[in-house]
Amino acid sequence: MDTIIKTTGISKIYNPGMPDEMRALSDINIEIGREEIALLKGPSGSGKTTLLSLIGCMSRPSEGSIFINGKDVAGLPERFLAEIRRKTFGFIFQHFNLIRGLSALENIMLPLYPTNIKISEIRERTETIIMDFGLLDKKKTLVERLSGGEQQRTAIARALIGNPDIILADEPTAHLDTKLSEELLEILFALNKKGKTIIIATHDPFVYGRDMIGRIIEMRDGTIQEVTGSS
Amino acid sequence: MERHKKILEYSLSSLSRRKYKNLSIIVVYTLMVAFMASILFMTHSFKEEALSVFTNAPDLIVQKVTGGRHDLIPVDYIQFIEKIPGVKSATPRYWGYYYDATTDGTYTIIGLTENREELKLVRGAMPASGGECAIGRGIMEARMAYIGGEILFFDSKREVLTLSIAGIFEAESDLLTNDLIVMRKEDSLRLLGIPDNKATDLAVEVYNETEVNTIARKITFNLHGTRPITKNEILRTYDSLFNWRAGMIFAVFIGPLAAFCILVWDKATGLSAEERKEIGILKAIGWDSSDILEQKLYEGAAISLTSFLTGIILAYIHIYFFDASFLAPALKGWSVLFPSYRLMPQINLYHIFSMFFLIVVPYTAVTIIPSWKVSVTDPDVVMR
Ligand SMILES: Nc1ncnc2c1ncn2[C@@H]1O[C@H](COP(=O)(O)OP(=O)(O)OP(=O)(O)O)[C@@H](O)[C@H]1O
Ligand SMILES: [Mg+2]
Repeated sequence: MDTIIKTTGISKIYNPGMPDEMRALSDINIEIGREEIALLKGPSGSGKTTLLSLIGCMSRPSEGSIFINGKDVAGLPERFLAEIRRKTFGFIFQHFNLIRGLSALENIMLPLYPTNIKISEIRERTETIIMDFGLLDKKKTLVERLSGGEQQRTAIARALIGNPDIILADEPTAHLDTKLSEELLEILFALNKKGKTIIIATHDPFVYGRDMIGRIIEMRDGTIQEVTGSS
Repeated sequence: MERHKKILEYSLSSLSRRKYKNLSIIVVYTLMVAFMASILFMTHSFKEEALSVFTNAPDLIVQKVTGGRHDLIPVDYIQFIEKIPGVKSATPRYWGYYYDATTDGTYTIIGLTENREELKLVRGAMPASGGECAIGRGIMEARMAYIGGEILFFDSKREVLTLSIAGIFEAESDLLTNDLIVMRKEDSLRLLGIPDNKATDLAVEVYNETEVNTIARKITFNLHGTRPITKNEILRTYDSLFNWRAGMIFAVFIGPLAAFCILVWDKATGLSAEERKEIGILKAIGWDSSDILEQKLYEGAAISLTSFLTGIILAYIHIYFFDASFLAPALKGWSVLFPSYRLMPQINLYHIFSMFFLIVVPYTAVTIIPSWKVSVTDPDVVMR
């Protein structure tokens, strides 16, 4: 197996040294293969989001190392982490996290603003993605006026604009009805077929038990309970 | 380069997204700059006006003081003064004030012995002989006078003096000529009630300006009851008067300043939840702290520069096209010094730069601090 992500002994302590110190993760050792779909599963508060944000370079572990494409990112300065977030990861958040007041088109273009890619090229790329997601007639609409499904597709399009290798999705079906949840999973599976590695954190049973899922990582109280399906 | 261009573009679109909030900031900001600039331009104009008047003033003026009052000075003092080494010339000056009951105005009367260069005429000629005069624009308007027309005065013995108007002044400085009437010496003596052998004061020119104090001392010492006033003393008095006035106005200025500080404080102490979230989202999708700071800096600078330039332009229009009419009520005292007159536009780059560094730079800096604080925190908060 070609490993794309590997963690060795990572833990995360929130507010260290404060009265409200909170150990959210302890000694996590996992591996995720390239072009795999992995599921982070566990009850609320078990640390799924925390682990996902560490993998996605959104925060730093208190201990341990995280290897992405074989490179330890845990100690990299902020500037590099931002670049890794932009180039390697696409995020699909639980609450979509679109920026209100901007159109769907602008939201999708946003990740590429702090790059030297020409605006005309960004626009071209965005148009293509927008077409793929059937948002063409909505591209000028402000995101807060879009339907839930359209917002979701806008958020996915934004995650894909930088052509990332890895897609991280945190509770992506939490606010969706069955039909939209199914649609979302299909999109993710299709992306996987095109070669994207996908990590989904969820406690939604609707997602469980799909053939496409290559690895299930079960968490509880900030530790790994069991890993199934790894080869 | 592309990167900065796009971040700038995003900043401008962000500003328009929060239209009302930003517009209200710009309004307060602009008013403050306009107010401050008005004051600076105005005091500066006054100073320049006064300077242009007094640089034409003689090196030394000799007055006579009797019982603490300004008295008429005997013209034969000139013979003594002219003998003092270093003195180039000494000439009598005939001037005074004339109260005109019909227009309730006080005019300045100057009697000519020779032509004075600093008084430039707009139309007509300087009085060449007795019975002629040249008048300032203010008097022309008040008395509805015109060149070739006549103007009536009552002299010190309540007899009528009729002068024909030979010219109307358009000097560089309205301050000097607005309420001025220039006539020949003999007419001014009649009007002001000055005897033949006296003058209002004496103007002394010296060869070497550094000797002026020594010469002044010699004059007081030998001519009893005289008071010499050097040009520098006059300039200094006016300067401190202007600065004091400016200080008064700055007290009035505290109101808008306080509003501005509250605004800045509000900006400096916090971002709305929405703004925080936006920063978090941007970071999560691959912006780094410096990109976010850059964006906030553009926003702050755009607001600052817009307000600053609008403020300066408003102040300019206010002072020079509306004669500072909005500030005038707060500044009644000025009219004691000067009758209403038109200010000459004076733009002082030093003032503009210092306002820029005192307002724009701190504002921009202060308002990006909270953004900076948020932008250096981990973006994982947006995942909750
Ligand atoms: N910023 C923080 N400060 C303090 N504690 C935190 C912070 N973020 C998360 N935690 C705590 O860390 C633990 C793990 O949180 P996390 O969000 O990773 O769980 P989760 O598995 O994603 O839960 P859910 O299914 O509800 O999303 C929780 O107990 C949470 O209260
Ligand atoms: Mg979670």
